[in-house]
Amino acid sequence: MKELIERLRSKFNAKNIKEQRKNFVFITVEKKDLEGCVLYLKEFEGYGHLTLLTALDWIEKDQFELVYHLHNYSNKTDVSVKTFIDRKNPTMVSINNLWAGARVYEREIKELFGIDFPGCPRVNDPFALEGWHEIPPMRKDFDTKKYSEETYFPRPGRYTKDNVAQMEEQLYPVEAEVKNGIAETVRKK
Amino acid sequence: MSLKDIVSPFNAWKRAFEKPDTIVKPLSEREGSDLYRGFHINDIDKCIGCGSCEEICQNAAIDLVDVASVKAKPGDSGLRPLIDYGRCCWCALCVDICPTGSLGMSNDYTWISENSDDFRFIPGIDEKKWNRSEKGYRRSAESWLVDPNRQHMNEIEPDKRKKNFDEYAEGFTDEQAMAEAGRCLDCGICIQACPTHMDVPKYINAIRNKDLDEGLRIMYETNPMLEACGRICTAKCEDVCAVGHNGKPIAIRSLKRYIGDQTFKKKDEIMDLKPAASTGRKVGIIGGGPAGLTAAFYLRRFGHAVTLYEQHDKLGGMLKWGIPDYRLPADVLQREIDFILRQGVEVKYSVKVGKDISFDQLHKENDALFISVGAQIGSDMPIKGMETEGVYSGVEFLEKVAKGEKPFVGKEAVIVGGGNTAMDATRSSIRLGAKAKILYRRTEQEMPANREEIREAKEEGAELKILSTPTKIEKLPSGRLKIECLKMELGEPDKSGRRSPVPKEGSEFYIEADVCIMAIGQKVEPEFSETIGLKVTKWGTFEVHSDTLRSNDKVFAGGDCQTGPDDAIKAVAAGKKAAYFIDKQLRG
Repeated sequence: MKELIERLRSKFNAKNIKEQRKNFVFITVEKKDLEGCVLYLKEFEGYGHLTLLTALDWIEKDQFELVYHLHNYSNKTDVSVKTFIDRKNPTMVSINNLWAGARVYEREIKELFGIDFPGCPRVNDPFALEGWHEIPPMRKDFDTKKYSEETYFPRPGRYTKDNVAQMEEQLYPVEAEVKNGIAETVRKK
Repeated sequence: MSLKDIVSPFNAWKRAFEKPDTIVKPLSEREGSDLYRGFHINDIDKCIGCGSCEEICQNAAIDLVDVASVKAKPGDSGLRPLIDYGRCCWCALCVDICPTGSLGMSNDYTWISENSDDFRFIPGIDEKKWNRSEKGYRRSAESWLVDPNRQHMNEIEPDKRKKNFDEYAEGFTDEQAMAEAGRCLDCGICIQACPTHMDVPKYINAIRNKDLDEGLRIMYETNPMLEACGRICTAKCEDVCAVGHNGKPIAIRSLKRYIGDQTFKKKDEIMDLKPAASTGRKVGIIGGGPAGLTAAFYLRRFGHAVTLYEQHDKLGGMLKWGIPDYRLPADVLQREIDFILRQGVEVKYSVKVGKDISFDQLHKENDALFISVGAQIGSDMPIKGMETEGVYSGVEFLEKVAKGEKPFVGKEAVIVGGGNTAMDATRSSIRLGAKAKILYRRTEQEMPANREEIREAKEEGAELKILSTPTKIEKLPSGRLKIECLKMELGEPDKSGRRSPVPKEGSEFYIEADVCIMAIGQKVEPEFSETIGLKVTKWGTFEVHSDTLRSNDKVFAGGDCQTGPDDAIKAVAAGKKAAYFIDKQLRG
């Protein structure tokens, strides 16, 4: 693993090397080096299996992170290659020509994060969502709560109580009356 | 086509007689992994019904509901989360936000029922097979969404601060306030604990929104002594803070001070209080401490004319005479009082009711009276030598300090008592140049003073002598005091739950000191109570209706003179309550 890491460092300027376990390492490369790096790992280092391709939204850094998880069947080791792309113009080179299975991942990421993979077959077809009109739901600025409140009807008989009101009612009803009566005098215009 | 391609399909047959990897029904044998996020579990005794789980749930799957077996109590709303598994997406945000760590997830996920309502239940209350599951997801220190550490104000170091009476806590910077406000979960469990029920989450939210003007207005709705309270409040709110269960509570008092510090210069402009329409009714207030001042402020807001009778030449009561400048600078207190007076309060300074003016006259002249004279007399110890020169009561000593009289402390001062007055007397004696020794009859754990007061007193060099009590004081030929003491032991718990001290026989010892300050409690001035002829309790405090603070006809009483010596925020609450019920009575 040590030698492999050294090779990735010198060839692809791999950074942020984190050896999660002795047979599993995370590396980060620049966007332009990503395709070359996974191609190299596949063709020259025996990492023939694309276990997973996924994305993370770092909204505060204005970036998306893409994670390519590769497995080597012969020595049972894993390399996870990460790269960061601009969140404003989220486009990434497609690797569907290296692994046919990447098509599914890329289509999924397109739908859930809105990251485009030009050249990937059927990348714009709906994946799991039907009739989706909102911003991609895995983006951090998607308001899940608002969406579920607007989309799903509340179950009949549901109720919720406010803990502050409950404590007022149960523990200090007189003082609560005083508080409300007094507060008005300061707010009154 | 190679031979391998032809043979390999037949390889599959070699497993034909092995045990299959697939599992035969029933599925119950197949357990989720140890960290699996299955059905929730909730430790009902640990849960405080703060509602953070409900607030964070992105699917609105959680409701806070009544539970027959749990009642609301201080620090606990008595409500518990009910989860709708038709909505839950098992994301575990509710577990990761939970301040007490009561909520977790079992690794159980297989459960079938034909009734969809069965999938709405209250974890920990409704009996489920996974309720006692040890496995499943729990939040870790890393995944906890709450920052357990609080911001600390910059303070002047003990060695420097003990040389003068300057305020030593510098107040939060903007960055500190913002970081601290960001820790608040906005749950509101603290509101009940505050005697005047300040809207803590609302004003903390105002800090987060960088709208301190609004923060100030929110605070004035419940407390016109907020700048003083921002410095010296006993902060009962912090004792019940949800974050305090597994981390350090939010520094609520410091955030209050921050708003006050940032807004006081523009207070009139921000508050923009137009005088209320006059009702033509007159209210007299006896005693200008926090209770009297608060009552005066709100009575003016109701439109009643207010006259305040104060026996000293300055207002503020115990905040002025009992709390040293290093904790509450005189100018901070004065500017806050001035704002109250600007609402149109008439003040008669240096007027002692019962001496300079009769109570009957006030009774005749006013439509209502509020007595808030406090508990200003230091309690004596029933021991020999109390009248010896060099023996002070705590309040008497602190009053001299507040007046700038620099009372004699010599080289060594002994302070008797374990409350905040004792700590104030201790730290004041140190600032006047003495070495201070505190005698307390129980142990440090039982001391009623705030923990930080005790810590800071020790930092400044105070020596703590626990389980000791004075029994006799004599003057030595050298002019110093000889204090005879006894060692104590802790016996059975008394009514307050604290273990009562029992003298240890034959354990006499002596200490020498230049002065001895007795800070063992205060009481209402008995002569005053006699003059006004109001009913008093066996402790000498005024007996009033506990809900309305009304005594009889038009006389109300509140603050220390009704509760016995207590903290400022309770006095503020009493003043507010009195204003409300006086107004109610005057309007009929």
